[in-house]
Amino acid sequence: MSALLGVSMRTQRRAVIGWGMGLAAIATMYAAFYPSITASASQLEGYMQNLPDAVRNLIGVDYTSPAGYLRAELFALLGPILFLVYAIGAGGRAIAGEEETRSLDLLLSTPLTRTQIVRDKAVALLVAMSCLAGFLLVVMLVIGPPFDLTVPVGDAAAACVMLLLLGLAFASLALAVGCATGRKTWAYGVTGVIAVATYILNVVAPTVSALAWTRPASPFRWYLEPDPLTTGLHPVNVAVLVGITAVCTAIGVLSFRRRDVAA
Amino acid sequence: MTAADIIAAEGLTKSYGRSRGVVELTFSVRAGEVFGFLGPNGAGKSTTIRTMLDFIRPTGGAISVFGWEPRRDATAIHARTGYVPAEFGLYERMQVRAYLEAFAAFRGGSGLAQIGPLAERLSLDLDRPIHELSHGNKQKVGMVQAFMHEPELLVLDEPTQGLDPLVQQTFYALIDETKARGGTVFLSSHILPEVERVCDRVGIIREGRLLTVDDVDDLKAKALRSVIFHFAVPVDASVFVPLPSVIHAEARGDAVAITVQGELDEVVKEAARHTVINVETREPSLEEIFLRAYRDGDRT
Repeated sequence: MSALLGVSMRTQRRAVIGWGMGLAAIATMYAAFYPSITASASQLEGYMQNLPDAVRNLIGVDYTSPAGYLRAELFALLGPILFLVYAIGAGGRAIAGEEETRSLDLLLSTPLTRTQIVRDKAVALLVAMSCLAGFLLVVMLVIGPPFDLTVPVGDAAAACVMLLLLGLAFASLALAVGCATGRKTWAYGVTGVIAVATYILNVVAPTVSALAWTRPASPFRWYLEPDPLTTGLHPVNVAVLVGITAVCTAIGVLSFRRRDVAA
Repeated sequence: MTAADIIAAEGLTKSYGRSRGVVELTFSVRAGEVFGFLGPNGAGKSTTIRTMLDFIRPTGGAISVFGWEPRRDATAIHARTGYVPAEFGLYERMQVRAYLEAFAAFRGGSGLAQIGPLAERLSLDLDRPIHELSHGNKQKVGMVQAFMHEPELLVLDEPTQGLDPLVQQTFYALIDETKARGGTVFLSSHILPEVERVCDRVGIIREGRLLTVDDVDDLKAKALRSVIFHFAVPVDASVFVPLPSVIHAEARGDAVAITVQGELDEVVKEAARHTVINVETREPSLEEIFLRAYRDGDRT
Protein backbone atom coordinates (compact mmCIF):
# COMPACT_ATOMS: atom_id res chain seq x y z
CA MET A 1 0.00 0.00 0.00
CA SER A 2 1.34 3.42 -0.86
CA ALA A 3 2.10 5.83 1.95
CA LEU A 4 -0.31 8.42 0.58
CA LEU A 5 -3.12 5.89 0.47
CA GLY A 6 -2.43 5.13 4.12
CA VAL A 7 -2.50 8.81 5.04
CA SER A 8 -5.65 9.45 3.01
CA MET A 9 -7.44 6.52 4.59
CA ARG A 10 -6.36 7.59 8.03
CA THR A 11 -7.79 11.07 7.52
CA GLN A 12 -11.18 9.54 6.64
CA ARG A 13 -11.22 7.04 9.47
CA ARG A 14 -13.13 9.15 11.97
CA ALA A 15 -15.71 10.17 9.40
CA VAL A 16 -16.26 6.58 8.32
CA ILE A 17 -16.79 5.45 11.89
CA GLY A 18 -19.22 8.31 12.53
CA TRP A 19 -21.23 7.71 9.38
CA GLY A 20 -21.21 3.98 9.94
CA MET A 21 -22.73 4.47 13.40
CA GLY A 22 -25.33 6.81 11.94
CA LEU A 23 -26.27 4.28 9.29
CA ALA A 24 -26.53 1.56 11.91
CA ALA A 25 -28.79 3.71 14.08
CA ILE A 26 -31.09 4.52 11.18
CA ALA A 27 -31.20 0.92 9.94
CA THR A 28 -32.03 -0.24 13.46
CA MET A 29 -34.80 2.32 13.80
CA TYR A 30 -36.43 1.29 10.54
CA ALA A 31 -36.06 -2.40 11.36
CA ALA A 32 -37.83 -1.76 14.67
CA PHE A 33 -40.79 -0.20 12.82
CA TYR A 34 -41.15 -3.18 10.49
CA PRO A 35 -43.34 -5.41 12.72
CA SER A 36 -45.94 -2.66 13.03
CA ILE A 37 -45.90 -2.23 9.23
CA THR A 38 -46.63 -5.91 8.62
CA ALA A 39 -49.39 -5.77 11.23
CA SER A 40 -51.27 -3.14 9.24
CA ALA A 41 -50.26 -4.52 5.86
CA SER A 42 -53.72 -4.63 4.29
CA GLN A 43 -54.53 -1.00 5.06
CA LEU A 44 -51.13 0.12 3.80
CA GLU A 45 -51.49 -1.79 0.55
CA GLY A 46 -54.72 0.06 -0.13
CA TYR A 47 -53.00 3.35 0.63
CA MET A 48 -50.11 2.47 -1.66
CA GLN A 49 -52.49 1.79 -4.55
CA ASN A 50 -53.65 5.40 -4.40
CA LEU A 51 -50.17 6.98 -4.50
CA PRO A 52 -49.08 8.80 -7.68
CA ASP A 53 -47.24 6.67 -10.22
CA ALA A 54 -44.00 8.58 -9.77
CA VAL A 55 -43.87 7.81 -6.07
CA ARG A 56 -44.78 4.18 -6.62
CA ASN A 57 -42.06 3.82 -9.20
CA LEU A 58 -39.63 5.09 -6.66
CA ILE A 59 -40.53 3.16 -3.56
CA GLY A 60 -41.65 0.01 -5.35
CA VAL A 61 -44.96 -1.77 -5.37
CA ASP A 62 -44.53 -4.26 -2.57
CA TYR A 63 -44.10 -2.10 0.50
CA THR A 64 -44.95 -4.64 3.16
CA SER A 65 -42.54 -7.39 2.10
CA PRO A 66 -39.06 -7.24 3.67
CA ALA A 67 -37.39 -6.38 0.35
CA GLY A 68 -40.09 -3.85 -0.53
CA TYR A 69 -39.88 -2.22 2.89
CA LEU A 70 -36.09 -1.97 2.77
CA ARG A 71 -36.29 -0.48 -0.69
CA ALA A 72 -38.89 2.10 0.22
CA GLU A 73 -37.41 3.14 3.54
CA LEU A 74 -33.70 2.69 3.04
CA PHE A 75 -32.56 2.27 -0.56
CA ALA A 76 -34.95 4.58 -2.40
CA LEU A 77 -34.14 7.80 -0.60
CA LEU A 78 -32.52 7.82 2.82
CA GLY A 79 -29.62 5.50 1.96
CA PRO A 80 -28.67 7.41 -1.20
CA ILE A 81 -28.91 10.72 0.67
CA LEU A 82 -26.61 9.54 3.43
CA PHE A 83 -24.19 7.92 1.01
CA LEU A 84 -24.12 10.85 -1.36
CA VAL A 85 -23.58 13.41 1.38
CA TYR A 86 -20.56 11.44 2.49
CA ALA A 87 -19.42 10.80 -1.08
CA ILE A 88 -19.71 14.40 -2.21
CA GLY A 89 -18.08 15.69 0.96
CA ALA A 90 -15.14 13.31 0.83
CA GLY A 91 -14.77 13.55 -2.95
CA GLY A 92 -14.79 17.34 -2.87
CA ARG A 93 -12.30 17.51 -0.01
CA ALA A 94 -9.85 15.01 -1.54
CA ILE A 95 -7.99 17.54 -3.69
CA ALA A 96 -9.86 20.85 -3.38
CA GLY A 97 -10.00 20.60 0.41
CA GLU A 98 -6.26 20.06 0.64
CA GLU A 99 -5.71 22.90 -1.76
CA GLU A 100 -7.81 25.28 0.33
CA THR A 101 -6.12 24.33 3.60
CA ARG A 102 -2.77 24.56 1.81
CA SER A 103 -1.63 21.10 2.80
CA LEU A 104 -1.51 20.27 -0.91
CA ASP A 105 1.62 22.37 -1.48
CA LEU A 106 3.76 20.16 0.72
CA LEU A 107 2.30 17.03 -0.82
CA LEU A 108 3.01 18.32 -4.33
CA SER A 109 6.59 19.16 -3.39
CA THR A 110 7.36 15.48 -2.88
CA PRO A 111 8.30 13.21 -5.78
CA LEU A 112 4.71 11.97 -6.01
CA THR A 113 3.14 12.86 -9.35
CA ARG A 114 -0.21 14.58 -9.56
CA THR A 115 -1.60 11.43 -11.14
CA GLN A 116 -0.44 9.33 -8.20
CA ILE A 117 -1.95 11.81 -5.76
CA VAL A 118 -5.40 11.73 -7.38
CA ARG A 119 -5.21 7.96 -7.80
CA ASP A 120 -4.42 7.34 -4.14
CA LYS A 121 -7.11 9.78 -3.04
CA ALA A 122 -9.61 7.97 -5.28
CA VAL A 123 -8.62 4.57 -3.92
CA ALA A 124 -8.97 5.91 -0.38
CA LEU A 125 -12.51 7.03 -1.24
CA LEU A 126 -13.23 3.56 -2.61
CA VAL A 127 -11.96 1.92 0.55
CA ALA A 128 -13.81 4.27 2.91
CA MET A 129 -17.11 3.93 1.09
CA SER A 130 -16.72 0.18 0.76
CA CYS A 131 -16.36 0.07 4.53
CA LEU A 132 -19.61 2.02 4.87
CA ALA A 133 -21.47 -0.23 2.44
CA GLY A 134 -20.07 -3.35 4.07
CA PHE A 135 -21.05 -2.04 7.45
CA LEU A 136 -24.59 -1.35 6.26
CA LEU A 137 -24.81 -4.89 4.92
CA VAL A 138 -23.68 -6.38 8.22
CA VAL A 139 -26.16 -4.23 10.12
CA MET A 140 -29.00 -5.33 7.82
CA LEU A 141 -28.12 -8.98 8.22
CA VAL A 142 -27.71 -8.76 12.00
CA ILE A 143 -30.50 -6.33 12.99
CA GLY A 144 -33.13 -7.40 10.42
CA PRO A 145 -33.95 -10.99 11.45
CA PRO A 146 -35.07 -10.23 15.05
CA PHE A 147 -37.74 -7.96 13.51
CA ASP A 148 -38.62 -10.48 10.76
CA LEU A 149 -36.98 -8.15 8.25
CA THR A 150 -35.14 -10.87 6.36
CA VAL A 151 -33.86 -10.72 2.81
CA PRO A 152 -31.51 -13.21 1.11
CA VAL A 153 -27.86 -12.40 1.82
CA GLY A 154 -27.08 -12.21 -1.88
CA ASP A 155 -29.82 -9.70 -2.57
CA ALA A 156 -28.94 -7.57 0.44
CA ALA A 157 -25.32 -7.60 -0.71
CA ALA A 158 -26.36 -6.67 -4.24
CA ALA A 159 -28.31 -3.67 -2.95
CA CYS A 160 -25.35 -2.51 -0.86
CA VAL A 161 -23.01 -2.91 -3.84
CA MET A 162 -25.32 -0.80 -6.00
CA LEU A 163 -25.54 1.84 -3.28
CA LEU A 164 -21.73 1.82 -3.09
CA LEU A 165 -21.42 2.18 -6.87
CA LEU A 166 -23.92 5.04 -6.89
CA GLY A 167 -21.96 6.74 -4.13
CA LEU A 168 -18.68 6.22 -5.99
CA ALA A 169 -20.12 7.75 -9.15
CA PHE A 170 -20.97 10.96 -7.28
CA ALA A 171 -17.79 10.87 -5.19
CA SER A 172 -15.72 10.75 -8.38
CA LEU A 173 -17.76 13.59 -9.88
CA ALA A 174 -17.08 15.71 -6.79
CA LEU A 175 -13.42 14.67 -6.96
CA ALA A 176 -13.26 15.69 -10.62
CA VAL A 177 -14.86 19.10 -10.03
CA GLY A 178 -12.50 19.64 -7.11
CA CYS A 179 -9.53 18.61 -9.27
CA ALA A 180 -10.58 20.98 -12.04
CA THR A 181 -11.43 24.00 -9.89
CA GLY A 182 -9.53 23.59 -6.64
CA ARG A 183 -12.65 24.82 -4.86
CA LYS A 184 -14.60 22.72 -2.41
CA THR A 185 -17.75 24.80 -2.77
CA TRP A 186 -17.74 24.21 -6.52
CA ALA A 187 -17.29 20.50 -5.99
CA TYR A 188 -20.12 20.36 -3.47
CA GLY A 189 -22.40 22.69 -5.40
CA VAL A 190 -22.05 21.24 -8.88
CA THR A 191 -22.24 17.65 -7.69
CA GLY A 192 -25.09 18.35 -5.30
CA VAL A 193 -27.17 20.04 -7.98
CA ILE A 194 -26.50 17.21 -10.44
CA ALA A 195 -27.43 14.64 -7.79
CA VAL A 196 -30.74 16.31 -6.95
CA ALA A 197 -31.59 16.99 -10.61
CA THR A 198 -30.86 13.44 -11.78
CA TYR A 199 -32.72 12.02 -8.79
CA ILE A 200 -35.82 14.02 -9.68
CA LEU A 201 -35.37 13.16 -13.35
CA ASN A 202 -35.35 9.47 -12.53
CA VAL A 203 -38.56 9.79 -10.54
CA VAL A 204 -40.42 12.02 -12.97
CA ALA A 205 -39.22 10.79 -16.37
CA PRO A 206 -41.21 7.52 -16.44
CA THR A 207 -44.49 9.40 -15.97
CA VAL A 208 -43.84 12.21 -18.45
CA SER A 209 -43.59 10.77 -21.94
CA ALA A 210 -41.68 13.78 -23.30
CA LEU A 211 -38.97 13.17 -20.70
CA ALA A 212 -38.88 9.39 -20.83
CA TRP A 213 -35.90 9.22 -23.17
CA THR A 214 -33.78 11.28 -20.73
CA ARG A 215 -34.05 8.80 -17.91
CA PRO A 216 -30.95 6.79 -18.80
CA ALA A 217 -28.93 9.94 -18.16
CA SER A 218 -29.72 9.60 -14.47
CA PRO A 219 -27.31 7.45 -12.43
CA PHE A 220 -30.26 6.64 -10.18
CA ARG A 221 -31.95 4.88 -13.09
CA TRP A 222 -29.09 2.39 -13.10
CA TYR A 223 -28.89 2.12 -9.34
CA LEU A 224 -32.27 0.67 -8.43
CA GLU A 225 -33.83 -0.54 -11.70
CA PRO A 226 -34.27 -3.53 -11.82
CA ASP A 227 -34.40 -3.78 -8.05
CA PRO A 228 -31.22 -5.47 -6.70
CA LEU A 229 -33.11 -6.38 -3.52
CA THR A 230 -35.21 -8.84 -5.47
CA THR A 231 -33.20 -9.51 -8.62
CA GLY A 232 -29.56 -9.21 -7.57
CA LEU A 233 -26.81 -7.58 -9.64
CA HIS A 234 -27.11 -6.74 -13.32
CA PRO A 235 -23.91 -6.39 -15.31
CA VAL A 236 -25.15 -3.46 -17.41
CA ASN A 237 -26.20 -1.47 -14.36
CA VAL A 238 -22.89 -2.17 -12.66
CA ALA A 239 -21.02 -1.25 -15.82
CA VAL A 240 -22.81 2.09 -16.21
CA LEU A 241 -22.07 3.23 -12.66
CA VAL A 242 -18.49 1.93 -12.77
CA GLY A 243 -18.09 3.66 -16.13
CA ILE A 244 -19.27 7.01 -14.73
CA THR A 245 -16.79 6.62 -11.89
CA ALA A 246 -13.92 5.76 -14.23
CA VAL A 247 -14.64 8.63 -16.61
CA CYS A 248 -15.01 11.19 -13.81
CA THR A 249 -11.80 10.02 -12.14
CA ALA A 250 -9.92 10.21 -15.43
CA ILE A 251 -11.25 13.72 -16.07
CA GLY A 252 -10.15 14.62 -12.55
CA VAL A 253 -6.62 13.38 -13.15
CA LEU A 254 -6.29 15.11 -16.51
CA SER A 255 -7.67 18.45 -15.34
CA PHE A 256 -5.55 18.42 -12.19
CA ARG A 257 -2.41 17.74 -14.22
CA ARG A 258 -3.14 20.63 -16.53
CA ARG A 259 -3.87 23.45 -14.20
CA ASP A 260 -2.10 25.80 -11.82
CA VAL A 261 -2.43 24.99 -8.15
CA ALA A 262 -3.70 27.94 -6.10
CA ALA A 263 -1.19 29.76 -3.95
CA MET B 1 22.97 29.43 -18.12
CA THR B 2 26.09 27.48 -17.32
CA ALA B 3 26.43 23.92 -16.16
CA ALA B 4 26.90 25.12 -12.60
CA ASP B 5 23.54 26.90 -12.51
CA ILE B 6 21.01 25.10 -10.36
CA ILE B 7 18.16 27.43 -11.24
CA ALA B 8 17.99 29.45 -14.45
CA ALA B 9 15.12 31.75 -15.34
CA GLU B 10 15.02 33.20 -18.83
CA GLY B 11 12.38 35.85 -19.43
CA LEU B 12 10.13 34.03 -16.97
CA THR B 13 6.64 35.51 -17.11
CA LYS B 14 3.47 34.52 -15.33
CA SER B 15 0.34 36.57 -15.90
CA TYR B 16 -2.83 36.23 -13.88
CA GLY B 17 -5.41 38.35 -15.61
CA ARG B 18 -4.67 41.87 -14.44
CA SER B 19 -3.01 41.47 -11.08
CA ARG B 20 0.10 39.90 -9.54
CA GLY B 21 2.36 37.65 -11.56
CA VAL B 22 5.95 38.16 -12.65
CA VAL B 23 7.32 39.81 -15.76
CA GLU B 24 10.35 38.64 -17.74
CA LEU B 25 12.55 37.52 -14.88
CA THR B 26 16.03 36.51 -15.89
CA PHE B 27 18.40 35.27 -13.22
CA SER B 28 20.40 32.24 -12.29
CA VAL B 29 21.31 30.58 -9.04
CA ARG B 30 24.74 28.96 -8.96
CA ALA B 31 25.52 25.63 -7.40
CA GLY B 32 26.51 25.97 -3.76
CA GLU B 33 25.32 29.51 -3.18
CA VAL B 34 22.63 30.93 -0.95
CA PHE B 35 20.51 33.14 -3.14
CA GLY B 36 18.20 35.65 -1.51
CA PHE B 37 15.02 36.72 -3.25
CA LEU B 38 14.11 39.97 -1.60
CA GLY B 39 10.91 41.88 -2.05
CA PRO B 40 7.81 43.12 -0.30
CA ASN B 41 4.74 40.94 0.07
CA GLY B 42 2.93 40.49 -3.21
CA ALA B 43 6.01 41.25 -5.32
CA GLY B 44 5.95 37.86 -7.05
CA LYS B 45 8.35 35.85 -4.88
CA SER B 46 5.96 32.97 -4.29
CA THR B 47 4.86 33.02 -7.93
CA THR B 48 8.47 32.54 -9.03
CA ILE B 49 8.99 29.72 -6.56
CA ARG B 50 5.80 27.99 -7.64
CA THR B 51 6.99 27.87 -11.24
CA MET B 52 10.22 26.18 -10.11
CA LEU B 53 8.25 23.38 -8.50
CA ASP B 54 5.67 23.03 -11.28
CA PHE B 55 2.76 24.13 -9.08
CA ILE B 56 2.03 26.75 -11.72
CA ARG B 57 3.16 27.02 -15.35
CA PRO B 58 4.79 30.07 -16.90
CA THR B 59 2.83 32.05 -19.47
CA GLY B 60 6.09 33.16 -21.08
CA GLY B 61 9.81 32.50 -20.94
CA ALA B 62 11.24 29.50 -19.18
CA ILE B 63 12.71 28.30 -15.94
CA SER B 64 14.89 25.29 -15.36
CA VAL B 65 15.90 23.58 -12.16
CA PHE B 66 18.91 21.24 -12.22
CA GLY B 67 18.72 21.81 -15.98
CA TRP B 68 15.25 20.27 -16.11
CA GLU B 69 12.01 21.84 -17.16
CA PRO B 70 9.62 21.62 -14.18
CA ARG B 71 6.64 20.74 -16.34
CA ARG B 72 8.37 17.64 -17.70
CA ASP B 73 10.58 16.57 -14.83
CA ALA B 74 8.78 17.71 -11.69
CA THR B 75 9.34 14.38 -9.97
CA ALA B 76 13.11 14.46 -10.50
CA ILE B 77 13.27 18.07 -9.29
CA HIS B 78 11.13 17.34 -6.24
CA ALA B 79 13.27 14.35 -5.28
CA ARG B 80 16.32 16.61 -4.96
CA THR B 81 14.58 19.61 -3.45
CA GLY B 82 13.28 20.58 -0.03
CA TYR B 83 10.55 23.20 0.16
CA VAL B 84 9.07 25.33 2.92
CA PRO B 85 6.09 27.36 1.67
CA ALA B 86 5.26 30.78 3.09
CA GLU B 87 1.99 29.41 4.39
CA PHE B 88 1.01 25.81 4.56
CA GLY B 89 -1.42 23.42 6.14
CA LEU B 90 -0.67 20.05 7.71
CA TYR B 91 -2.84 17.04 8.35
CA GLU B 92 -4.22 18.25 11.65
CA ARG B 93 -5.42 14.86 12.87
CA MET B 94 -2.06 13.17 12.50
CA GLN B 95 0.72 12.99 15.01
CA VAL B 96 3.86 14.90 14.11
CA ARG B 97 5.91 11.73 13.89
CA ALA B 98 3.41 9.92 11.68
CA TYR B 99 3.17 12.94 9.42
CA LEU B 100 6.91 13.23 8.98
CA GLU B 101 7.31 9.49 8.50
CA ALA B 102 4.66 9.61 5.80
CA PHE B 103 6.53 12.40 4.05
CA ALA B 104 9.73 10.39 4.25
CA ALA B 105 7.80 7.51 2.70
CA PHE B 106 6.61 9.82 -0.11
CA ARG B 107 10.31 10.30 -0.77
CA GLY B 108 10.96 6.58 -0.86
CA GLY B 109 12.07 6.51 2.77
CA SER B 110 14.64 9.25 2.30
CA GLY B 111 15.08 11.35 5.42
CA LEU B 112 13.56 8.93 7.89
CA ALA B 113 16.74 8.79 9.95
CA GLN B 114 16.94 12.59 10.25
CA ILE B 115 13.48 13.13 11.74
CA GLY B 116 14.60 12.46 15.31
CA PRO B 117 17.80 14.55 15.26
CA LEU B 118 16.14 17.50 13.51
CA ALA B 119 13.15 17.46 15.86
CA GLU B 120 15.54 17.47 18.79
CA ARG B 121 17.51 20.44 17.49
CA LEU B 122 14.30 22.38 16.94
CA SER B 123 12.71 21.13 20.21
CA LEU B 124 9.76 19.76 18.32
CA ASP B 125 7.68 17.18 20.17
CA LEU B 126 7.09 14.31 17.76
CA ASP B 127 4.41 12.64 19.84
CA ARG B 128 1.81 15.39 19.79
CA PRO B 129 -1.10 15.63 17.39
CA ILE B 130 -0.57 18.40 14.88
CA HIS B 131 -3.78 20.25 15.74
CA GLU B 132 -2.38 20.93 19.22
CA LEU B 133 0.74 22.67 17.90
CA SER B 134 1.31 26.41 17.96
CA HIS B 135 1.97 28.23 14.71
CA GLY B 136 5.71 28.24 15.43
CA ASN B 137 5.74 24.50 16.05
CA LYS B 138 3.88 23.86 12.82
CA GLN B 139 6.57 25.88 11.06
CA LYS B 140 9.11 23.50 12.58
CA VAL B 141 7.26 20.53 11.10
CA GLY B 142 7.53 22.23 7.72
CA MET B 143 11.25 22.76 8.26
CA VAL B 144 11.91 19.17 9.25
CA GLN B 145 10.16 17.81 6.15
CA ALA B 146 12.19 20.19 3.97
CA PHE B 147 15.60 19.43 5.50
CA MET B 148 15.30 15.79 6.50
CA HIS B 149 16.30 14.25 3.18
CA GLU B 150 19.34 16.55 2.92
CA PRO B 151 18.27 17.93 -0.43
CA GLU B 152 20.65 19.41 -2.98
CA LEU B 153 18.37 22.42 -3.31
CA LEU B 154 16.36 24.14 -0.60
CA VAL B 155 13.57 26.43 -1.67
CA LEU B 156 12.43 28.50 1.29
CA ASP B 157 9.57 30.96 0.96
CA GLU B 158 9.55 33.45 3.85
CA PRO B 159 10.64 30.62 6.13
CA THR B 160 11.26 32.53 9.35
CA GLN B 161 7.88 34.21 9.60
CA GLY B 162 6.52 33.40 13.03
CA LEU B 163 9.66 31.67 14.29
CA ASP B 164 11.05 32.68 17.66
CA PRO B 165 14.62 34.02 17.61
CA LEU B 166 16.17 30.87 19.04
CA VAL B 167 14.60 28.71 16.35
CA GLN B 168 15.66 31.24 13.74
CA GLN B 169 19.26 30.72 14.80
CA THR B 170 18.89 26.97 14.41
CA PHE B 171 17.33 27.59 11.05
CA TYR B 172 20.24 29.75 9.92
CA ALA B 173 22.61 27.05 11.17
CA LEU B 174 20.76 24.48 9.07
CA ILE B 175 21.16 26.70 6.02
CA ASP B 176 24.88 27.07 6.73
CA GLU B 177 25.18 23.29 7.02
CA THR B 178 23.36 22.82 3.74
CA LYS B 179 25.80 25.17 2.10
CA ALA B 180 28.76 23.46 3.75
CA ARG B 181 27.82 20.14 2.22
CA GLY B 182 27.55 21.74 -1.20
CA GLY B 183 23.82 22.36 -1.29
CA THR B 184 22.15 25.35 -2.87
CA VAL B 185 19.58 27.54 -1.18
CA PHE B 186 16.94 29.81 -2.68
CA LEU B 187 15.47 31.92 0.08
CA SER B 188 12.72 34.44 -0.38
CA SER B 189 12.31 37.08 2.25
CA HIS B 190 11.14 40.59 2.91
CA ILE B 191 13.55 40.96 5.82
CA LEU B 192 16.83 42.56 4.84
CA PRO B 193 18.92 41.54 7.88
CA GLU B 194 17.93 37.95 7.26
CA VAL B 195 19.12 38.12 3.68
CA GLU B 196 22.33 39.83 4.80
CA ARG B 197 22.87 37.17 7.40
CA VAL B 198 22.58 34.11 5.21
CA CYS B 199 22.79 35.04 1.52
CA ASP B 200 25.70 35.35 -0.88
CA ARG B 201 23.76 37.03 -3.63
CA VAL B 202 20.41 38.68 -3.72
CA GLY B 203 17.81 39.46 -6.35
CA ILE B 204 15.42 42.28 -5.57
CA ILE B 205 11.93 41.95 -6.93
CA ARG B 206 9.18 44.50 -6.88
CA GLU B 207 5.80 44.43 -8.55
CA GLY B 208 6.73 41.34 -10.51
CA ARG B 209 9.94 42.73 -11.97
CA LEU B 210 13.49 41.90 -11.03
CA LEU B 211 15.19 45.18 -10.21
CA THR B 212 18.70 43.97 -9.61
CA VAL B 213 20.77 40.91 -8.86
CA ASP B 214 23.88 41.59 -6.87
CA ASP B 215 26.33 40.30 -4.30
CA VAL B 216 24.99 41.09 -0.88
CA ASP B 217 28.19 42.97 -0.02
CA ASP B 218 27.95 45.11 -3.14
CA LEU B 219 24.36 45.84 -2.50
CA LYS B 220 25.12 47.00 1.00
CA ALA B 221 27.92 49.18 -0.31
CA LYS B 222 25.54 50.74 -2.76
CA ALA B 223 22.81 51.14 -0.24
CA LEU B 224 21.90 54.52 1.15
CA ARG B 225 22.08 55.09 4.85
CA SER B 226 21.39 58.12 6.93
CA VAL B 227 23.77 59.57 9.50
CA ILE B 228 22.97 62.42 11.84
CA PHE B 229 25.81 64.25 13.58
CA HIS B 230 24.92 66.38 16.58
CA PHE B 231 27.51 69.10 16.98
CA ALA B 232 28.34 71.42 19.86
CA VAL B 233 27.68 74.41 17.61
CA PRO B 234 25.84 74.66 14.30
CA VAL B 235 27.93 73.43 11.37
CA ASP B 236 27.46 74.39 7.76
CA ALA B 237 25.96 71.37 5.99
CA SER B 238 27.55 72.36 2.71
CA VAL B 239 31.00 71.19 3.87
CA PHE B 240 29.78 67.60 3.47
CA VAL B 241 28.25 68.03 0.03
CA PRO B 242 31.50 67.82 -2.01
CA LEU B 243 32.36 64.41 -0.53
CA PRO B 244 31.85 61.71 -3.17
CA SER B 245 29.88 59.39 -0.88
CA VAL B 246 27.39 62.06 0.20
CA ILE B 247 24.10 62.12 -1.63
CA HIS B 248 22.44 64.78 0.45
CA ALA B 249 23.21 66.87 3.55
CA GLU B 250 21.12 69.34 5.47
CA ALA B 251 21.40 71.24 8.73
CA ARG B 252 18.80 70.73 11.43
CA GLY B 253 19.64 73.10 14.24
CA ASP B 254 22.91 71.92 15.78
CA ALA B 255 22.72 68.70 13.83
CA VAL B 256 23.48 67.77 10.24
CA ALA B 257 21.57 64.95 8.60
CA ILE B 258 23.51 63.25 5.81
CA THR B 259 22.48 60.61 3.33
CA VAL B 260 25.49 58.49 2.46
CA GLN B 261 26.07 55.86 -0.14
CA GLY B 262 28.92 53.45 0.50
CA GLU B 263 31.72 54.07 2.97
CA LEU B 264 31.34 56.45 5.87
CA ASP B 265 35.07 57.11 6.30
CA GLU B 266 35.31 60.54 4.64
CA VAL B 267 32.13 61.75 6.23
CA VAL B 268 33.29 60.79 9.71
CA LYS B 269 36.67 62.44 9.16
CA GLU B 270 35.01 65.64 7.99
CA ALA B 271 32.65 65.61 10.96
CA ALA B 272 35.53 65.02 13.34
CA ARG B 273 36.93 68.43 12.46
CA HIS B 274 34.10 69.78 14.61
CA THR B 275 33.01 68.90 18.13
CA VAL B 276 30.72 65.93 17.82
CA ILE B 277 28.24 65.41 20.68
CA ASN B 278 26.44 62.41 19.28
CA VAL B 279 26.14 60.32 16.14
CA GLU B 280 22.98 58.58 15.03
CA THR B 281 23.29 56.11 12.24
CA ARG B 282 20.76 53.81 10.79
CA GLU B 283 21.17 50.76 8.60
CA PRO B 284 19.36 51.30 5.35
CA SER B 285 15.85 49.95 5.48
CA LEU B 286 14.65 47.59 2.87
CA GLU B 287 12.59 50.39 1.46
CA GLU B 288 15.69 52.50 0.97
CA ILE B 289 17.48 49.68 -0.79
CA PHE B 290 14.46 49.30 -2.98
CA LEU B 291 14.41 53.00 -3.74
CA ARG B 292 18.02 52.76 -4.72
CA ALA B 293 17.38 49.77 -6.94
CA TYR B 294 14.39 51.56 -8.35
CA ARG B 295 16.47 54.53 -9.38
CA ASP B 296 18.98 52.23 -11.06
CA GLY B 297 16.10 50.61 -12.85
CA ASP B 298 14.79 53.96 -14.06
CA ARG B 299 18.14 55.03 -15.35
CA THR B 300 18.65 52.05 -17.61
